[in-house]
Amino acid sequence: MPTTLIDTEIMPMADKINLQYPQFSNKIVAIVGGFGSGKTEVAVNLAQFLKKQGGQGAEKVTIVDFDLVNPYFRSREIAQPMEALGIRVIVPTGGQFYADLPILMPEVRGVIGQPDGLVILDIGGDSQGTKALGSVANLFVPGSYDMLMVINSRRPQTDSVEGCLKTMKRIEDTSGLKFTGLISNSHMIDETDVTVVAEGYLLTSEVARRSGLTCSFVSALKPILDEMDAGQFDCPVLPLSREMLKPWERSSNRGSQKKEEG
Amino acid sequence: MTKKLMKGNEAIGEAAIAAGAINYFAYPITPQSEVAEYLCWRLPEVSGVFVQGESEVAVGNMIFGAAASGKRVFTTSSSPGISLMQESISYMAGAHLPVVILNIMRGGPGLGGILPAQSDYFQATKGGGHGDYRLIVLAPASVQEAVDLTILAFDLADKYRNPVMIIGDGMIGQMMESVEFPEKYRDENNPDDFDWALTGADNRPARITKSLYLDPKKLEDNSIKLAEKYKKIVEAESRHELYHVSNDNQLLIISYGTMARICQTVIDELADEGISVGLMRPITLYPFPGAELYAEATKKNIKRVLTVEMSMGQMVEDVERYVVGKKPVDFFGRTGGIVPTPNEVKDKIRELLKPSPKAKKTKSSRKKQIKG
Repeated sequence: MPTTLIDTEIMPMADKINLQYPQFSNKIVAIVGGFGSGKTEVAVNLAQFLKKQGGQGAEKVTIVDFDLVNPYFRSREIAQPMEALGIRVIVPTGGQFYADLPILMPEVRGVIGQPDGLVILDIGGDSQGTKALGSVANLFVPGSYDMLMVINSRRPQTDSVEGCLKTMKRIEDTSGLKFTGLISNSHMIDETDVTVVAEGYLLTSEVARRSGLTCSFVSALKPILDEMDAGQFDCPVLPLSREMLKPWERSSNRGSQKKEEG
Repeated sequence: MTKKLMKGNEAIGEAAIAAGAINYFAYPITPQSEVAEYLCWRLPEVSGVFVQGESEVAVGNMIFGAAASGKRVFTTSSSPGISLMQESISYMAGAHLPVVILNIMRGGPGLGGILPAQSDYFQATKGGGHGDYRLIVLAPASVQEAVDLTILAFDLADKYRNPVMIIGDGMIGQMMESVEFPEKYRDENNPDDFDWALTGADNRPARITKSLYLDPKKLEDNSIKLAEKYKKIVEAESRHELYHVSNDNQLLIISYGTMARICQTVIDELADEGISVGLMRPITLYPFPGAELYAEATKKNIKRVLTVEMSMGQMVEDVERYVVGKKPVDFFGRTGGIVPTPNEVKDKIRELLKPSPKAKKTKSSRKKQIKG
């Protein structure tokens, strides 16, 4: 297994401060959220974290790129490094890799219907994107999956409790599936600071109270978590390393991987 | 206002509202669709109007009519859609109408692909439509700059009564960055402030907005009037940014939009290797900062000028025009939606600066590339 930032920085940190990691008893974890919530970053980090951690049920990890709406910055862009970790990555192949068409890979039905190990679904693009999820909703057995809403308090449609509840309702109506939990992932990419993460956690806690759901975990960039007291979070914490990079951030001495060349 | 994390497309939509432009006409196309998606819920909150046309041809004619009313008018599209609007863009330029058009460029020609490109430079700066006309063309490199230039675009359009185009590669539309908007949003234009706006001819002589002049003398007069306007624009509105420019530079890069940010990474990393390179980033593509380019490129220390674009080489023709053979002008580009990596650009620069056999020393690599 190749060494990544997750080995060198995040795993030792998790050990050191005795963080409570996100863990799942269900085999299907659907990560859902609006544009810019950071769901892809969360999904690819979660897949890698659980695979590295290798806990119960995480011997086998599959990630499905369900982002059929967003044309750029999708988990398929870092398929290769994830595959190198032994994660099964399901993405469209050929020219469809680059498309923004509602094409669902045939193997997706099988993976959801009969999951082998832990299956993480990266479901993009707000309610439009979740239409695709609706087409396989009949495969989800209530009580046997997690569907988690990623909340970023710095995004226009999820910057208030009402905004979050409205967005969640819209996604539930389109997908025909109910949320089971929340992920607090407030960020402004490089300009994220402690305030942003703390403010997002407060918002998510209030959304949890109003919706009757729980906060499944808080996720934030590792350097920010370093500055925070993890004890203030009443839920597990997922430290993030930035995987989805812009082209000028991808270079020999920047970022944890290089973009595959077209 | 709290900083927000926004996609370029959404931020540009909000910037139009900040500029008092709440009349929006568009047809969806990737990678620009989020502008329409954002404005379709945001405009009703500010009593604005969004009309989705049945095609970009229809949209072009809708904005012509709306702009003639004196209100601020906005449309957005991506490359193939912008091609469809060319007829009305020429009409609006001929009729001296202020309007702002956003092109979030994708790979072409034809239907092309949906990934980022900069291959509509010629179309934006050299016409695209017919006739002797020019657009003011602005090229942001970040989401915040896209916001600032969108607001500026409306001011320039009103000031010169001319269409303004903002062009961004797909990355500008799709990427997320933190942004801030002005504290105070501008009110809508009052059409009564303009002596040309079609507000209804009650108690005043009728006004006519047109680009048709059957009398050749009158048509020539209109073209001369346009040319005089463009001269003023060239004198007053050229904008650019310099990065890492110093007397140690061996090479000067000319690049715009997000490509320029990749070049900044290149420059930082080459500096670590002891290779000094500067960047000139045109912010206005028309007017092109030609005099400024000439001044920078002809400095004694500059050995070569390298244009880097996400195209097969378009802006490089303007760079050659202004460097006027004083220094060799080279080109590097990828296209079709492929974004050059910092390493590719670094390799090109190392190759260009490598001491080579005398004959090749000052020759531009550009001709070879065109042939090959």
